[in-house]
Amino acid sequence: MRPRRIARVARWEVSRSAGTVDRKTILVLVAMALLVGVVGVSVLGSGAGLEDGLYRVGVDADQSDGNPYVDVVESNPQFTLEETTYAEFAGGDSDADVFVDGSGRLGSDGTAKGDAAHTAFRDAIDRYNHDLMRVEVDEYAAYPVLVSIQYQQRSQTGASGSNSGSSAGAGSNAGDGSSGSTGGGSGSSDPSVSGDARTATGDGDGSGDSRLQIPDVGGGSLGESVDAGTPGAISPPFPFQSLVLAFLFVVPMNFVIQAYGSTIMDERIKRRGELLLVAPITSTEIVAGKTLPYLLGVLGIVAAITVAIEGGLLSVLAALPIALLFLAATFVGALLARSFKELTFVTVAISVFLTTYTFVPAIFTDVTPIALISPLTLIVMDLQGESATLGEYLFSTGAFYLGSLVLFVLGIGIYREEDLFTQKPIPAKVVDALASRIHGYRHVPLLSILFIPFVFAGQLLAVALLFALPAHLALPILFLVISVLEELAKSVHVYAGFARSRFEASLGTAVVVGTLAGAGFFVGEKFTHVVQFVGLPDLEIGLAAFGPALSTEPLVLAVLFFVPLVLHVVTAVISAIGASRGRTGYAIAFTVAVLVHTGYNLGVIGLVS
Amino acid sequence: MSRETEPTSPESSTASTQARLAIVRRELASLRSEKTIVLAIGIQLFIALFSSFLVVGLVSLYDPGSVDGYEMTVAVTGDDTDELLAAANEQEGLETRTYADRGGAYAAFEDRSVAAVLDASRDAEGRLAVRVTAPDEGIGTTLLIVQLRDTLETVEHDERRANAESGRLESAPLSMPEAAGASPYFGFTYTILIPLLCFLPVFISGSIAVDSLIEERQRATLELLRVAPLSLADIVDAKLVATAALAPIQAAVWLVLLAWNGTPIVHPSALVALVAALAVLVVGLGMAVALTSPDRRQAQLLYSGAIVGALIVASVLPEHPANTVAKFAVGSATATTWLLLAVYCGLGVAAFLALRAGVDRLNPDAL
Repeated sequence: MRPRRIARVARWEVSRSAGTVDRKTILVLVAMALLVGVVGVSVLGSGAGLEDGLYRVGVDADQSDGNPYVDVVESNPQFTLEETTYAEFAGGDSDADVFVDGSGRLGSDGTAKGDAAHTAFRDAIDRYNHDLMRVEVDEYAAYPVLVSIQYQQRSQTGASGSNSGSSAGAGSNAGDGSSGSTGGGSGSSDPSVSGDARTATGDGDGSGDSRLQIPDVGGGSLGESVDAGTPGAISPPFPFQSLVLAFLFVVPMNFVIQAYGSTIMDERIKRRGELLLVAPITSTEIVAGKTLPYLLGVLGIVAAITVAIEGGLLSVLAALPIALLFLAATFVGALLARSFKELTFVTVAISVFLTTYTFVPAIFTDVTPIALISPLTLIVMDLQGESATLGEYLFSTGAFYLGSLVLFVLGIGIYREEDLFTQKPIPAKVVDALASRIHGYRHVPLLSILFIPFVFAGQLLAVALLFALPAHLALPILFLVISVLEELAKSVHVYAGFARSRFEASLGTAVVVGTLAGAGFFVGEKFTHVVQFVGLPDLEIGLAAFGPALSTEPLVLAVLFFVPLVLHVVTAVISAIGASRGRTGYAIAFTVAVLVHTGYNLGVIGLVS
Repeated sequence: MSRETEPTSPESSTASTQARLAIVRRELASLRSEKTIVLAIGIQLFIALFSSFLVVGLVSLYDPGSVDGYEMTVAVTGDDTDELLAAANEQEGLETRTYADRGGAYAAFEDRSVAAVLDASRDAEGRLAVRVTAPDEGIGTTLLIVQLRDTLETVEHDERRANAESGRLESAPLSMPEAAGASPYFGFTYTILIPLLCFLPVFISGSIAVDSLIEERQRATLELLRVAPLSLADIVDAKLVATAALAPIQAAVWLVLLAWNGTPIVHPSALVALVAALAVLVVGLGMAVALTSPDRRQAQLLYSGAIVGALIVASVLPEHPANTVAKFAVGSATATTWLLLAVYCGLGVAAFLALRAGVDRLNPDAL
């Protein structure tokens, strides 16, 4: 790795890419942008109109002059007016979904659509009333209720007296006094939280840095914030705005990876990349050089967005690992894809998956510390004016850094002639990529450990997706998915090693390799627990999901500590023996290993509960 | 050049049809062998799941009534509590406990026997000032605040009507009808989810078309294809048919699945026709981009830029296409909606003919 060579490849990449953009494309793009801009600005005020004309509101044809609700229908594009009679509506002979008479009685036609129209029309009346009040002269009469909300941390000691009234708010584990950790992201590790109160006047923006004790009653600020303090202006403590802003960081990455995927794929078409491969530079330097401009590009965009929305350094630091993982996943995708079509879907899949994975946890920024599994949470925190500790940063971004490193390392392993320019099946390329990193026994446990971020991500995704299923169904499926993921992480590189003759296909070798893989995985798993303890001492959820419940008895503790080791080694040895016998053997042994693992997990759960 | 000898006799026209069918089959086979279509459907499913997951989550945040058996007790104190109490007791899931002195209320809040304290009193202008003290406890607080907001809005509404009767307001607020138990997901399903599921296959088909043609050009396999007894226009046609046909099929499957899941679709055939017309239009656009752009990066950039742009520019239509889909699905179609469907079908045919004419004028050797 020589910086000068990397810089040269990077310069070449930039000049070549810039050269291919022709003037016609730029002109067309500029023209499109102008048109879209003009139209976009002109329709901005009226909204997209997706719900226009969805429901039909029936009114009595004779009395429609005296019906004040006709104005509501006409003021809201969501409804169209249908002149009919009540008898017709009740008899089902009218197209109307709801019927409203002059005194405000609203009837649905009994269908799901009618009920939805009923609710929507009620909301429309509310909005109409709101508009009426806005033009009133007597503001005190129009806005007769003033609200101020004060959020206050309650002391933990009173938890024993918890009753039905507060248990819903305090969460399910109110008994052990840890429920307060669901505070503002920083959790109970922050000693200053008790007695600390935050005040929001309900004007919609994040309340993170306004630490006023006295509520703003809104009396003096009649000019711009008339609404401030009315009940309608209350917004629940939900970091919506920050979340949308944080989303801004992810959007440009989706465009950059399109270009990045194309440039990697381009090298593979008509053996173009051969010229670089025969140059006196290593493939790592080529990849680093080709990636660098795109990484810098993303960072530049991120920095610009940060400046525009007044974020801090933390936002940039948190966006970096997301960008790296986007690029790493695209790199591997572009090396595996067999055509542009496939590449498009691989990049879209990466976009969708990573956007979801970073976005969903960030929604719960203020709710639970587990939101920190996404670096986007750090950006939301930064935009809300909170800061993160080093432990929180490492916890949040560690998996992303490690994951992108592993993907790049594996990808560079197949950045060579026999994989770049041949139409090999994807599994064969994956096996190649893995085998390129195995040069001896010592690499086996190392790879097991390196796969842990992916296992972690997969398990979290499984939890999130199975969340909706009923528990008696979700739990066994979840355990099955967890076993499959963990067994895969322990055995796939072992299989690659045997398949590419890195190891001798004998029983003894298989036992040794399997033991190493299982033990490596165990060490890695324990290491993540240590990281959790150090980074987030109050993260019980993570422990419940990814580790055994701790007991106080030392003997039990020791047994609980080492039983998983035995399990991991046994199952890894099973699949390693299978892997040494070829593909079918591996498939059979893998199934057996998964079954043993699932059985063990279900057994443990049976014992505990 | 094959296109100079355009086949006219019946035997050669069947041969030409067979040759086109062969290209269609080849196109579909490449999608199947790469499992691209599986990935495409997987992505659509994931997007639909994800957006539904978000909506269900957000709705239950903003409409805690949909969470069963949810009861919270709040303390009410202050000088003027009658209206607040009346409104709070009508609110489902909210119980009140009255405290004569403020200290008692805050003590009850501190020892967790009440979830929040509402301190109501009149200010100098006759307004009801309510001071809410809520715990800083995450999701539970969110639910509580939403409940309290509804209660306070009821109080506000009652106060306004009283003010209107005493002549302080020029126009009285309209009285609110009783709330009905409607599915909170109804609007989302018809205005977001169904348009999404109808349009995603169209955009994906267009993207496949761009990639497929650009790749044949870059790998120089288009050269090989043109050895077949077909003109370039025939090849482009066959590719267009193969990729555009995928979209209405996928949309139809989504609609069947939705109907099967209890979301009735009123005009399914109109929707499938709409998707087919848009697919021909969009795939035609993709083909045109792929034939004129120098490489894939620019083709994809132009194509996705054009799609995003078209979606925004479509707002100037009397109905946004997504709105048209929603109206067909929910059964609120008007004359405009049907007219727009006819226009889209016409545009699809026009795009097909224009592409054909354009390709005929193109020099195949320059590609």
